[in-house]
Amino acid sequence: MKRIFEIALGILAAIGGFVDIGDIVFNVAAGAMFQYRLLWVVVIGVGAIITYSEMCGRVTVASGRAVFDAVRERLGFRVGLVALVAAQLVNLMTLAAEIGGIALALQLLAGLPFRALLVLAVLALAVVLWAMPFSWIERIFGYVGLAMLAFAVAAIKLDPGWGDVASGFVPSVPSGDRALYAYFVVGLIGAATVPYEVYFYSSGAMEEQWTPKDLGTNKANAIIGYSLGGFLSFALMITAGALFYPLGITPESLGSVALGVDVPLGTIGLLCALVGILFAVSGAAIDTAFSGGYTLAQFFGWEWGKYRRPVDAPRFTLTWIVMVVLGFLVVVTGVDPIKVTEYSVIFSVVALPLTYVPILLVANDRAYMGRYRNGRVANVFGIAYLVVILAIAVAAIPLMLVTNMGQG
Amino acid sequence: MSEPIDLALGILDHQVVDSEGFRCGKVDDLELGGIQEGKPVVETIIVGRRNRRRVHVPWDEVEKVDSAVWLKRPARELRLRRGDDRLRPLLEWIPGAHAR
Repeated sequence: MKRIFEIALGILAAIGGFVDIGDIVFNVAAGAMFQYRLLWVVVIGVGAIITYSEMCGRVTVASGRAVFDAVRERLGFRVGLVALVAAQLVNLMTLAAEIGGIALALQLLAGLPFRALLVLAVLALAVVLWAMPFSWIERIFGYVGLAMLAFAVAAIKLDPGWGDVASGFVPSVPSGDRALYAYFVVGLIGAATVPYEVYFYSSGAMEEQWTPKDLGTNKANAIIGYSLGGFLSFALMITAGALFYPLGITPESLGSVALGVDVPLGTIGLLCALVGILFAVSGAAIDTAFSGGYTLAQFFGWEWGKYRRPVDAPRFTLTWIVMVVLGFLVVVTGVDPIKVTEYSVIFSVVALPLTYVPILLVANDRAYMGRYRNGRVANVFGIAYLVVILAIAVAAIPLMLVTNMGQG
Repeated sequence: MSEPIDLALGILDHQVVDSEGFRCGKVDDLELGGIQEGKPVVETIIVGRRNRRRVHVPWDEVEKVDSAVWLKRPARELRLRRGDDRLRPLLEWIPGAHAR
């Protein structure tokens, strides 16, 4: 049992990072439009996030410093400030979207008015963030979020053409709308590598007080956690590909996404999926709220951490409280939470190199890392994925404009 | 402190941690005290960027330098972490503020 809980951090970082409200819809839209032809992209995204999460977990273990410490050190104050502003904007937009997502999931489960549920969602979130110990948070929200595996059962039950599914893992260029396809490639990799995952993960390693003895745990967390996240992405895309693609429908709401489970599995499956979505989306809200506190505190050198008493880390605590309030204010204006995350994913792609380059530099620094410096494997993967990240960072904005945000 | 350190990469923008393990700012600037045996000598580290809030910490107060700059004394005695002190009252009244 203890072993299972040891990978809770990776599970929550992945569940909150991969299958947050925007990604759920993004993956389902990808399946609905291109059936299984984008599955290979998820593999690249998962590989990238495993490589960099392992790296920054190791940096934290070896040096006691988390990702945004590295950003500040390697980019200096001015350029670092650009990275900070970009990171906080994405944190905030995502948090706003997740708060909306919690309310949407509650609405599908309980059917009360949306605005009342929004208030309920933000209050519950604040209580959890304030009162629940970090280890409980990661266990409860990570593991209950796994109820979304209902989508995997649904995918199997829908009996997709497995040959077609398999060929989706081979990169291909479609004959139809290539710009739209490319937009989804960028969006899916971006969604898999959103920087708040590594902010949360590396700071979580500190929260858990990992030492060099835990380097194996770090590797297991990164690999198993994010692979599970990737597996869920596959399941969402395959379900949508089998159900919506033949009908030519692209679901644009959480309710129609859930239909993907309702059709093959009925009420019990639907319930599982909705509870899973609720906890996954809540997990993402927790990830982003804390990430807001972590990045700001690490950039300016303030005391931070859930492992501290709130009065011992006042600026960190106030930062996440302000984030939650701002997120609530954004979503209460009535903006569409799903549109908000789509924007935030694309903008985060542009800023990705500002996070990932410093990690790679610090992980190779002997003074910083000692004998836990990157080995050859970590560097080969690190550089290869950095090339991918740079390429999508350059392509993101033009593709967004050309495709009108994936609307074709 | 006889090991040579690259000032830009090895100290500047590093985390400052006090003797009790609390984080108390970044190394925002350095003051050099001239050249000794051909090498610049750090006289003070400066924490904080805004003029009124800049704190000068004498190099003698530094215990060691690795991925962070570790101080020999608690932040309070060096007038660091005042931002946290100022904002603490906003939280203290909330139940659980003193619990881990």
